[in-house]
Amino acid sequence: MRDFGYSEKGQSVTVADLALWRRILRYSADYRLPIGVAVILSLGVTGATLGLPYLLKTAIDGYITADQLAMEQRLAGITTIGLWFAALIAVNFLLMFTQVVLLEWVGQSVMHRIRQELFAHIVNLDLSFLTRQPVGRLVTRLTNDVQNMHEMFTSVLVTLFNDILRIFGILIVLLVLNSKLGGIMSLYVPLAFVMTWVFSQMAREKFRAIRAQLSRINTYIQESVSGIAIIQLFNAQSRFARDFLNLSDEYLRRTLSQIRLFAAFMPLSELLSTTAIAIILWFGGSLILKNQLTIGELVAFLAYMRLFFQPLRELSQKYSIVQSALASAERIFAMLDVKPLIVDPPRPQHLKEIAGRIEFAEVRFSYDGTTPILDCVSLTVEPGETVAIVGATGSGKTTLINLLLRFYEPQKGRISIDGVTIDQLPLAELRGHVGVILQDVFILKDTLLANIVLDSGRGRDEVRTILRHTGIDRFVRRLPDGLDTIIGEAGRELSTGEKQLLSFARALCRNPPILVLDEATASIDSESESILEEAIATSFADRTSIVIAHRLSTIRRADHIIVMEQGVIVEAGPHEQLMVNRGRYAELIELDLHNDRPKTIATS
Amino acid sequence: MQRVAQQRSTSAETRSSETTTPLSSLLPLLVPQFKRHRVRLAVGFAALLIVDLLQLSIPQLLKRGIDGLSAGTATPSMLALLGLAIVAIAVLVVLLRFVWRTLIIGFSRYLERALRNRVFSHILTMDQHFFSSRSTGSIMAHVTNDLTAVQMACGMGMVAAADALVMSVAAIGFMLYISPSLTFFALLPMPILAIATRVLSAQLHHRFNTVQEQFGVLTEFARSALVAVKLSKAYTLERLQTGEFDKMGRTYVDANIKVARIQGVLFPAATLIGNMGLLAIVVFGGRLAIDETISMGDFVAFITYLQMLIWPMMAVGWVANLFQRGATSLRRIYLLLDAEPLLPDHQENTVSHITAPSFTLQGLSFTYPGTSSPQLEDISIEVSQGLIVGIAGRTGSGKSTFCKILVRLHDIADGAYHFGGIDVNQLPLDEVRNRIAYVSQEPVLFSDTIGANISFGRADANSSEIEQAARDAVLHDDIMGFDNGYQTIIGERGVTLSGGQRQRLALARALLSDRPVLVIDDGLSAVDTQTEHRILATLRERFNEKTVFIVSNRIKLLSMTDIILIFDRGRLVNSGSHEELLAANDFYRAMHEKQMNSEPRD
Repeated sequence: MRDFGYSEKGQSVTVADLALWRRILRYSADYRLPIGVAVILSLGVTGATLGLPYLLKTAIDGYITADQLAMEQRLAGITTIGLWFAALIAVNFLLMFTQVVLLEWVGQSVMHRIRQELFAHIVNLDLSFLTRQPVGRLVTRLTNDVQNMHEMFTSVLVTLFNDILRIFGILIVLLVLNSKLGGIMSLYVPLAFVMTWVFSQMAREKFRAIRAQLSRINTYIQESVSGIAIIQLFNAQSRFARDFLNLSDEYLRRTLSQIRLFAAFMPLSELLSTTAIAIILWFGGSLILKNQLTIGELVAFLAYMRLFFQPLRELSQKYSIVQSALASAERIFAMLDVKPLIVDPPRPQHLKEIAGRIEFAEVRFSYDGTTPILDCVSLTVEPGETVAIVGATGSGKTTLINLLLRFYEPQKGRISIDGVTIDQLPLAELRGHVGVILQDVFILKDTLLANIVLDSGRGRDEVRTILRHTGIDRFVRRLPDGLDTIIGEAGRELSTGEKQLLSFARALCRNPPILVLDEATASIDSESESILEEAIATSFADRTSIVIAHRLSTIRRADHIIVMEQGVIVEAGPHEQLMVNRGRYAELIELDLHNDRPKTIATS
Repeated sequence: MQRVAQQRSTSAETRSSETTTPLSSLLPLLVPQFKRHRVRLAVGFAALLIVDLLQLSIPQLLKRGIDGLSAGTATPSMLALLGLAIVAIAVLVVLLRFVWRTLIIGFSRYLERALRNRVFSHILTMDQHFFSSRSTGSIMAHVTNDLTAVQMACGMGMVAAADALVMSVAAIGFMLYISPSLTFFALLPMPILAIATRVLSAQLHHRFNTVQEQFGVLTEFARSALVAVKLSKAYTLERLQTGEFDKMGRTYVDANIKVARIQGVLFPAATLIGNMGLLAIVVFGGRLAIDETISMGDFVAFITYLQMLIWPMMAVGWVANLFQRGATSLRRIYLLLDAEPLLPDHQENTVSHITAPSFTLQGLSFTYPGTSSPQLEDISIEVSQGLIVGIAGRTGSGKSTFCKILVRLHDIADGAYHFGGIDVNQLPLDEVRNRIAYVSQEPVLFSDTIGANISFGRADANSSEIEQAARDAVLHDDIMGFDNGYQTIIGERGVTLSGGQRQRLALARALLSDRPVLVIDDGLSAVDTQTEHRILATLRERFNEKTVFIVSNRIKLLSMTDIILIFDRGRLVNSGSHEELLAANDFYRAMHEKQMNSEPRD
């Protein structure tokens, strides 16, 4: 009782969608040769399978019931048949094995290629598209949907080809052996197909209902386990147990209904094959009486019909798998058809020696096109200057950085580095010039060194020097194996502060002329904080830097402070001047800074 | 005293490490279900038996027809009669198969439900020690994979075993009756099939697990890469990540091909062995038919019996694996159900006369089971009703553990903690817990409406009470900002709340539960200062009879409490009012200076 394929809502693909098939086949074009071999193997397997009952017939008619022949002749004949028989089954086995492994290899290779293409495609899509997609959905495209297609490729398409080849091969043999009896037997084909189709439709619904309920149960258990302390402290155990009983009962109801469906349908295919035996005996027997059929042929009919019904039992399952695989293929292709809007310029300019002058000129931006996030923002950061951006959540601080890195394009206005508009630079070059230090960090399951270096090509000694220079080596020395400590999953977990330090080290490895720091809003341990302060002091000194600041120490270090409010710059200037002005900045500092947790302002 | 708690935990540890639980101790998990459904099972197996016998009679009818045909004694009416008899049997088989499938496989689902419910209600009674030694994932595995394995063993496994046994014994019986020597030759390859299925399908299972693991690795990588896609772009890591993904994908492909190699042997093997038997029948049976030791009908019936044997032979290997897996899973379920909470729960000592919930802690020490250094050491303090107690200290100083002990989540030694004058180890858990509302730093919310989450501790609360609690926790305006107000669903399929909103929701939940004690374990850390002050003011005014413990490192908040406890490395180093601590405690003074001196001078 295998699963009837993974499915998602909104499937509307038909198996007869030719354009879809063509596109799927394009991916297998490079494997034409192995696929051709597999088809030949299929023919071989079918031939060998169908040869066996024929040998049986020859044995019976030619030797066993051939009273007219001499005894030795009959016995020798049987031995010869036996040798042929042995040869066929050995060949059959070898061909089948080769075919299974060959097809698995082709299928896996094709799927690997699709998966890679999809992955490379997705990570290059616009952030504006990606942030609108739930991560789970994107992951499903890469994993389950590709897996689904693979299922179809290897275990279904080819066995389906084998099966159909076998079914029609058998029909032809039967019709040749005896057209009347063969004709009657061929009526089983439409009968079996209709039954299978009806069954597969019904089974799919049942499976879907069961899966939905099972995931409800699993979610419930998961939530209960992670919230167990609260459940117990608020004395809700009996309520949870009761609700769970209901979920469990519903699951039982659904599985029982599926069992009944299977119990009704599974024996039906058995009924078909048994009635075939009855018909062969009855109708075939009467043909023998009329001398229109031999006993050997009758036995061959029995054997062929047994082979005939074998594939039909799994047909419904395979049909469902093909259907869900096509739906997956369609979803994958739809994803591949999404084109990024933010791409490299056709005739890119290049910046050789970067001074680091950043200019935002009357920039206007909105994520959804209606709610303005930045409204006519103009600001200039001179080379080597440090600018701190201060403001409440939603004031547009992070958006400025998103635009500078060209994650989004401003609706109006112009952003330039050293006078060159950023959309004239290749994306990789632009992002290479601007080193960003974020509080989130992507961690490879590898050593700290590998995580710092990534693809920057730096050697261990270079990294050491950079870390020593900025004081981040104090963080490294805290780890058990220093730079060789394995971090990430199953390794050492990093705290918020340590993540920010790692992010810092990464950015510095690329030696970017411009640094952008998004300070952690969460409280970080005091030691990380002091390392971070030193790193900021040493690395900001000679670079153009922008910092979204939450800590007073960082704000005070800045040459320039920009106060943002609802997408507009409301104040700008050095700390002392702004304090004297007693405007919004002074207000913010007094309001939040006085009473807030250590040296933090403007958090969400 | 401390030793008492330790011993309790180590005995539980050794129990769960026993991997070889005797099968006899597992059976009580299943037996009651078998007893309860005995009629269902009896009817089911009777139907199964009859189906097998009916099926075995078909070759006999076939033999009679063919013998008649080869001897020339057959008549059209005889053939028609035989054909009809076969059809009649087939119809009966369909009906009876429906019966046993629904009854026996249905039984396995009833059994599964009973076990699942039992596991779940057991989990609900377990304490922190249990959950700290098991990941959510492993518990999930128990309720999903292990239950499925047991269900399969008790459903399809049992059916296949009975079916295979009856079919093979009877078919071999008929074959022996026709010709013992031919039976020997025809069955010679059969044991190979049984063994091959057993060995290969176990291997297959193993290799398939590797595939699943690698699939998990692939999924996890894709997920983590896509969650941080902004970072990848900022650092232009797209190519690097695609390369990593490619490596993992290749490993996955290799693992799959290893599976295919076994499948490539296993699936054709059944055909191969069946055909080898057929070969034996053609060669030896052919000879016997030629010298007329057996009739032509016997020859054909023999072939049919052989074909009937192929499935049972495959089933033997398959069933053995199913049973083995089922037993392993059942053992794991047993160990889960066998685990007992360490926390003593003296239900019999219900004393509802605790009116003033006072706390007396005397020499309280606590070490997490399985660790060596104590998390809390020698804490003594007395807190009477109505006080607001602030708790401060560095990360890892034991504040959180202290709160969890107060609300009775951790097992402690006798005599260290008196609640309302009575040793908590002598009280029912509920007696203490029902008087304390708890707000943790990482609030746990459930995928349900906001309203339902607030009324979590008091399911009978009406909407105005819920709203009042939300107002007290300064959450009402936030809620009204959502399209569906209090009916807004939160969680995976609903609205995502900010950290501060989550914390305030947890606070509203605690306030509505209307318990005399409130423990806030750094539960306002993500709430901004102004809101925090409003909340504390509300607590002072509207809930002034409540005893409140509040963990925080914000000086401003701590200065509003009645008494402040300073923890350091598991010890209570100082306690006193804000002013007292400023004079007496270095850490507190340093914290005060750092937070207050960052005030820019005007």
